[in-house]
Amino acid sequence: MKEAQIICVGCPLGCRATLKVSREGEVLEVTGCRCKEGRRYVVEEFRNPVRVLTATVLTEGSRVPLLPVRTSSPIPKEKLREAMKALAKVRAKPPLRAGEVVLEDLLGTGVDLVATRDLPS
Amino acid sequence: MRLQGVDVAVIGAGPAGMAAAIRAKEAGAQRVLLVERQEELGGLLHQCIHNGFGLLYFGEDLTGPEYAKRFIDRVYDLGVETLLETTVLEISPERGIRVINKGGLQSFRPKAVVLAMGCRERTRDQLGIPGGRPAGIFTAGTAQRLVNVEGLLPGRRVVILGSGDVGMIMARRLTLEGARVEAVVEILPYVGGLIRNEVQCLHDFDIPLLLEHTVTEVHGERHLEGVTVAKVDPHRRPIPGTEIQIECDTLLLSVGLIPENELSRRAGVELDPLTGGPTVDQWRETTVPGVFAGGNVLHVHDLVDNCSWEAELAAEGAVRFAKGERTEGREICLRPGRNVRYVVPQRIRGEGPVTLFLRVREMEEGMRVRVGDLWQKRFRVVKPSEQIKVELSPKDLRRLPDGVAEIRVECEVAG
Repeated sequence: MKEAQIICVGCPLGCRATLKVSREGEVLEVTGCRCKEGRRYVVEEFRNPVRVLTATVLTEGSRVPLLPVRTSSPIPKEKLREAMKALAKVRAKPPLRAGEVVLEDLLGTGVDLVATRDLPS
Repeated sequence: MRLQGVDVAVIGAGPAGMAAAIRAKEAGAQRVLLVERQEELGGLLHQCIHNGFGLLYFGEDLTGPEYAKRFIDRVYDLGVETLLETTVLEISPERGIRVINKGGLQSFRPKAVVLAMGCRERTRDQLGIPGGRPAGIFTAGTAQRLVNVEGLLPGRRVVILGSGDVGMIMARRLTLEGARVEAVVEILPYVGGLIRNEVQCLHDFDIPLLLEHTVTEVHGERHLEGVTVAKVDPHRRPIPGTEIQIECDTLLLSVGLIPENELSRRAGVELDPLTGGPTVDQWRETTVPGVFAGGNVLHVHDLVDNCSWEAELAAEGAVRFAKGERTEGREICLRPGRNVRYVVPQRIRGEGPVTLFLRVREMEEGMRVRVGDLWQKRFRVVKPSEQIKVELSPKDLRRLPDGVAEIRVECEVAG
């Protein structure tokens, strides 16, 4: 058995939870959370931490140098840096509307990279 | 553009100003004019490319540009008139507005004004950090614009002073763009921004956080070469002998925001030293009749959603004023009591509803926040970084005994 520490981000309290985890990775016990939702969050955060990535990509043929982008849904936390490397190769070409896909299936996650604002030419 | 006959003029087209202009139109104002010094609507939202906007207002997790677009589209759909690349030079106590742009100088007098100029960042001069004047020292917001809009990386090795949300968000952003953030330095014993940002911006990338520390000196002649960081005592004074040197080429300052009220001051608007913004009633009307204020120009908010909402209140007040509907009634002062740093609005006139914001001075656990005998709520924890919002209904206000001149807003130990 091992222990994991996770801080709940659900509210200003910021409970510091301790998870007892079996060798197979199963969560056996959660202590330190002061609410039910928090317990759910820390278990999920332990099993599969995910984040929405927001960044910019370079443009080509536009008067603005950058296009802000986001992932259409959260991706695994450990892929953030690798995702940035993939973004560095992207060149966004106008015209693009906010919400349009800039890069499909980022790193095989099934998640798309989308523009968060219109790109003028 | 003919500026005579404007009903409501809104100064500033950020999240507050756009919301105010939209609401003024919706509330029945014929001519609404939105004045903005930049070349497009949206204000600071365009450089805030991270998500977390609109969770309350739209029930969706939006980025800054996405949040802006919702309002920009509505501004144009409703026929709000916009004056871009235009600076307001002066607002007189009689609501006379003087503006300048490429077309020259113009003056006009709208029936009502909503101030929505937002706020700006505190700078190194306001902190008085000793040392030379090397290049490489930026406010966090300036660095945010360089990285997110201009496509420039301010440096490779970065120290961030202040753990407000912008500072932590920039720590993550710079790390993702390949810079190395050596440390985030915070003078207080706890983080200045949201816990979510501490976890997702600092912990996720193993960025060191130095609590109860501050930058005591900057080094470098032409360009920044490093900073001295020292531990501070409970009175926030650096403790001699605790200094450490950190090599860096960039120092970002995320050390607080100041409502931008130069125009308000010249208009004769009374300012509250506790907020840095105008004193207002529940409609967000300032001490100058017909001049209203909402968003960060009034007091610095944690969430953009609240900026927009508050500016809508100001717009509703402005439209009523423009139509000649005036609320009379006795004035009741709201006074900050125990562990309350400020309360907005500072006074109530006539009937409710009242949307009230307050901020505490110190972090405390197991507290009850109360607004006189009208409202109370228990909080497991109160923090200076987490604004508290209170809604009082007209019914709540009718419970006030006659002759009350003052209500104390305080934070007390819950029994």
